Amino acid sequence: MRSLKLSSSKQKWTSASGKRPPTRAEILRTTFLTVMMLIILAPVVWFVLSSFKDITDLSSRPPKILPTHWAFENYTEAFKMYNYKQYFMNSVFITSVATVLTLVINSMAAYAFSKYNFRGRDGLFVMTLAMIMIPLQVILIPIYLVVSSLGLVNTYWGMIIPAAATPTGVFILRQYMLTIPDELIESARIDGAGEFRIFARIVLPLARPALAVVAIFSILWRWNDFIWPLLIAQDEKLYTLPVALALLNGQLVVPYNIVLAMSVMSIIPVLFMFVFMQRQIIQGIAQTGLK
Amino acid sequence: MAIFLTFIIWPALRGIYISFFDSTDGRTFTFVGTANYKAIIGDPTAIEVAKATATYVVFYVLIATTLAMFFAIVVNEQKFAKGFFRAVLFLPVMLSPVVVGLIWNDVLDRKVGPLNALLEAVGGGSPGWLIEPKLGMIAVIFVGVWVHLGFYSIILLAGLQGIDRSLLEAASMDGATRGQIIRLIILPLLKPTTLVIIILATIHGFQSFDFIYTLTGGGPFGATTLIVQYIYDHAFQVPIQYGLGSAAGVILFMVIFAFTALNFLLGRKRDAI
Repeated sequence: MRSLKLSSSKQKWTSASGKRPPTRAEILRTTFLTVMMLIILAPVVWFVLSSFKDITDLSSRPPKILPTHWAFENYTEAFKMYNYKQYFMNSVFITSVATVLTLVINSMAAYAFSKYNFRGRDGLFVMTLAMIMIPLQVILIPIYLVVSSLGLVNTYWGMIIPAAATPTGVFILRQYMLTIPDELIESARIDGAGEFRIFARIVLPLARPALAVVAIFSILWRWNDFIWPLLIAQDEKLYTLPVALALLNGQLVVPYNIVLAMSVMSIIPVLFMFVFMQRQIIQGIAQTGLK
Repeated sequence: MAIFLTFIIWPALRGIYISFFDSTDGRTFTFVGTANYKAIIGDPTAIEVAKATATYVVFYVLIATTLAMFFAIVVNEQKFAKGFFRAVLFLPVMLSPVVVGLIWNDVLDRKVGPLNALLEAVGGGSPGWLIEPKLGMIAVIFVGVWVHLGFYSIILLAGLQGIDRSLLEAASMDGATRGQIIRLIILPLLKPTTLVIIILATIHGFQSFDFIYTLTGGGPFGATTLIVQYIYDHAFQVPIQYGLGSAAGVILFMVIFAFTALNFLLGRKRDAI
């Protein structure tokens, strides 16, 4: 298997193409990478396997790699108990509404920043950039106090609205919209299109790749958010998946095998997205340097 | 824009303001001057937290950037299954930090974890990764690197792909060894990207909270309680002390800001030489 893999590898950065036996460096490299990938993947695989074990298997010493019997009931139990469905739906709801809101607000702000001239525009934009540098953890308490004075603690909106203010999204979209030629917008204006029509019919469709990147980021962020929902969702009915998992894990009343099954289910949507959108995600991150 | 002002700028300013007050309910504020800051400086836990945070950040940044650089160069040269390796490397970045904590909690378990099973099989004993303070810190640093490695590598890879290949070919024609090419051409050309990585890693290091929360919960014996957890504990756990938490937040911001500025300055200075 190994030799078959290596024979298909080609040259490094020098010389012409064509098949030739792999050099020692190539063998070393591939072996090294394979070992490292195992180190990265093994814990995840172990975790997924664990989620199919029953309590006896989980506490056996030495641990078993494969479950003695595949405990699919962990999964069915998880759905029956502990409002898991509710947590899942909360996460879905918050992620989707926050993402839509993010796209609407950020694209409008980005359009204004890239295509309109108004007083203080550049100053405001610099401020937006500066905000990227302020980590949420630093302003946690004051934001919490703002949200609480608006009466949004323990509501869905308290989790959604602050999250929609993502300066990163504005930045990505604005950079992209700068590349849309002004002439296009001018000519549409001359043809009698209203401002909103120009925005909705011309700018947004053209900015689709950037919108996709922002949407992917937003989904990832909101799905995995922890500290903010932890503060806002005080009622158990509002828990998102990460909050529920972290808090249930701390309680001894919830069997560990169920927590495992819940965790695995919670990463499936993200993994799904990663498999299908890997290229956009990786490019988006490489271009912006943001996570 | 109003949302940005309400949820970022205003809170940022307000955070500094609150840090000079004492409040337990978020409504009534009593001015206490610099008492919150003094309280933090005089608090032995805070000193422990500062030490733990410093240890974590230093090792995290060093290990993560070095490994990421190494990986980026290796993956970049790799022809076979490059996309696959890149995807696997990146996988942990996608996972929810809460779940990452749970995963490693499972793997590092003293009695039933697979790592100790492996160690025992080769006669390495069964260290209490999440039970002994020192090992707990090592575990937290390791997992932190594990999570973010792919992220930094991807950015470095993008930088590497921006390097003109003809430059590398010319050097190897002139008889430069691979080590020389990496050291004398690739690394200097990659310096701006590396600087970005170091800054990002420093910021991430100071912000770490979620995966530690589910991995060690700040333990064993507070050994992995970092500054964000300190803020969280003081502001949102009884007894609630918004002022003290805000002061810690301001300190965190100043530290991050100072490190970012320092990185920029050092980067620029070395360019000048």
